[in-house]
Amino acid sequence: MHISDGILSAPVLTAGFVGTAILAGVTLRKMDMEEIPKISVITAAFFVASLIHIPLGVTSVHLILNGLVGITLGLRSFPAIMLAVALQALLFGHGGVTVIGVNSIMLGGGGLVAYFIWQLRHRFPSGPKREPIFGGIAATLSVVSSGIVLALALVTTGEEFKATAGYALLAHVPIMIIEGIVVGACAGFLAKVKPEILAGQIQTGKRNAP
Amino acid sequence: MPLDIDRFAHLETSIHRWDPRVKILSLGIFMFGVAVLKALPLVAIALIMAMIFIKITDLPFHFIYNGLKWVAVFLAPFFIIMPFSYPGEAAFYIWKLPFAWEGLRLATLIFVKAIAIVMTTYAIFGSARFDVSMIALQHLKCPKVIVQMLLFTYRYIFVFVEEMKRMDTAMRCRGFVMKTNLNTLYVMGNFVGTLLVRSFERTTRVYKAMLSKGYQGEFHTMVEFSAGWKDFLKAALVLGVIIALLASELLGIFRQAVFGWY
Repeated sequence: MHISDGILSAPVLTAGFVGTAILAGVTLRKMDMEEIPKISVITAAFFVASLIHIPLGVTSVHLILNGLVGITLGLRSFPAIMLAVALQALLFGHGGVTVIGVNSIMLGGGGLVAYFIWQLRHRFPSGPKREPIFGGIAATLSVVSSGIVLALALVTTGEEFKATAGYALLAHVPIMIIEGIVVGACAGFLAKVKPEILAGQIQTGKRNAP
Repeated sequence: MPLDIDRFAHLETSIHRWDPRVKILSLGIFMFGVAVLKALPLVAIALIMAMIFIKITDLPFHFIYNGLKWVAVFLAPFFIIMPFSYPGEAAFYIWKLPFAWEGLRLATLIFVKAIAIVMTTYAIFGSARFDVSMIALQHLKCPKVIVQMLLFTYRYIFVFVEEMKRMDTAMRCRGFVMKTNLNTLYVMGNFVGTLLVRSFERTTRVYKAMLSKGYQGEFHTMVEFSAGWKDFLKAALVLGVIIALLASELLGIFRQAVFGWY
């Protein structure tokens, strides 16, 4: 899910860059030197994973996975997604350079939403189903929130984009479902195999106890 | 999908020889200028400019095509949706659907702008080694942390594309076929998880290796820039064109879109 160059008006583009700068500033606070390679390597993994296309009837959709970034990198998911968006714009004009700001808020904001929902899981008893369910919900809602930002960016640009915004939201319904299932499965996998990758994982010690 | 944007960085053209700092700044301003234009003739001139940039950089068309293809795929629906959903008077009706020329004009405007901007992006980043472009960005006051992460990420993308190809081959050897069903989605979830675990483990190794080579949160480079009058002349040319375009936009020489673009 991207917005392309040439659509949005100047105030929306500017708002995108200002918002991105602020969010990046907040989410990059107290950054350790050690974290730089870690965030970059995981960003690269997500960039590559989003190239995967999943067949959907006669067509196919590619994974967005911003929810998964949220539940693995926590607050740092925002700069990570911002990097991925910037690289996609630079490497294959996917999105575009002038819309890096808006796209970062759209996808990175989704990552933050996913992280906040993911953190709510601590209020529920742990079990084998908890991580997949919360991962799935977090990913679905991150796509929902990205869709809302996309629609807002279009509608604030001009009245004439209302219909387009509606169709864009509609087109995201299958993606919400697919992302939810894929990320849910992935969260379950990670909780079993390498729980320390997941963000806000407190009780890893218990799991490994004999 | 070819991801190495700097595959043709070895060419020797006047854009390749342009000081990367001056090039990024002036062509960057050009791109943002194009993004806010809203008169079709002016945007057409911008597209011709972008084509000239590409012509000068000598980048082969099939290379640019990879980027333009995505723009076309993304914007194709606009040509169908916009004419039928544009508010205001309809020119005529197709099966009771109101068709407005204004909508079609807007779709064309968006399309041409996007193509021009993506072409300019290729002219900027296709004409210098990626690391050189990034160091130039750092000289232009882009935060050091972000530049470093971009460099790392860029390098690892290629490693993980290979990793993913290996995993994909292994899965297909075991008889996995992608279908539209729940099982495929579960398998893809685990696939992504495995990719993450492998990359995570690689990070720890990479970081230790970097520390042992003396990494202290700083990249040192032998790349040095020097901007001369030729670099500034090129910048003046590009900026002159975009200022002229924006000026004729503001003076309203050409008819603009009726609905809000500002």
